Amino acid sequence: MARKTTRASNTVVKVWDPLVRLAHWSLVASLVAAWFTSKAAHEWLGYAALGIVTLRIVWGGIGPRYARFRQFVLGPAETLAYARAFAARVEPRHLGHNPLGGWMIVALLATVALTCASGWLSITDRFWGVAWVQDTHTFLANALVALAGLHIGGVVYTSLRHRENLARAMVTGCKLPPRPGDVV
Amino acid sequence: MKTGNLTGKLCAAAALALSASAAQATGFATCESGPRESWQPEDQLAAALKEKGWQIRRIKEDGGCYEVYALDEKGQRVEAYFHPRTLAPVPHGAKNHKG
Repeated sequence: MARKTTRASNTVVKVWDPLVRLAHWSLVASLVAAWFTSKAAHEWLGYAALGIVTLRIVWGGIGPRYARFRQFVLGPAETLAYARAFAARVEPRHLGHNPLGGWMIVALLATVALTCASGWLSITDRFWGVAWVQDTHTFLANALVALAGLHIGGVVYTSLRHRENLARAMVTGCKLPPRPGDVV
Repeated sequence: MKTGNLTGKLCAAAALALSASAAQATGFATCESGPRESWQPEDQLAAALKEKGWQIRRIKEDGGCYEVYALDEKGQRVEAYFHPRTLAPVPHGAKNHKG
């Protein structure tokens, strides 16, 4: 039994810590639910989403290696180099987030935060019924759907490209061990 | 080539998602209000509500009704619906925000 466990843990590596996974899926749940609700439920789901994003941003500073922004948010030169390799279908596998995925995470977290903030603003006395606040909230929510679509597209593409179910990895936290040429 | 196709499809899907949900009726209320020419002007509704002590923030159309965002005479946030022909209040699913 013990031997079996040891062998099993040798075939995969832990990449996504529990907080990253919990934050990811609870954010998905709260945003999907917020899309289909209104009034009080919608507002509470928005506060929950804002809380999750805040937690994830803090964790991005102090969490384990693959949770940290510093690990996966790269500068323009490196990101562009990856994008070129991606377009040519020769991009290396990244054990953590790849550079484009990393920027998508930044975009998603920022868009969720701004969507929540604009929604919150729209139910204050000061900004109640103010057209630009309401319209900004609507625009950001729609932009979020578009970004989520691209995110899912990127996950599916990368999963097929490197023959690894990345959605499942975000559930289990485990990925295939690095092979030669991978970026760890 | 395959990458280009996929990227193209993703962009198209994203664009569709953006346009599909823009400016749809919320379904909180609907009014059988006929053609716009037969509606009472928005200004008249605004004037009547101001008379009641409301501070009007926004009037727009939703489900064929006038949808009003305002602070009422007590300073409470209200979202209210009115029939564009009669300017009578329309019951709706949108509850007032109380903070």
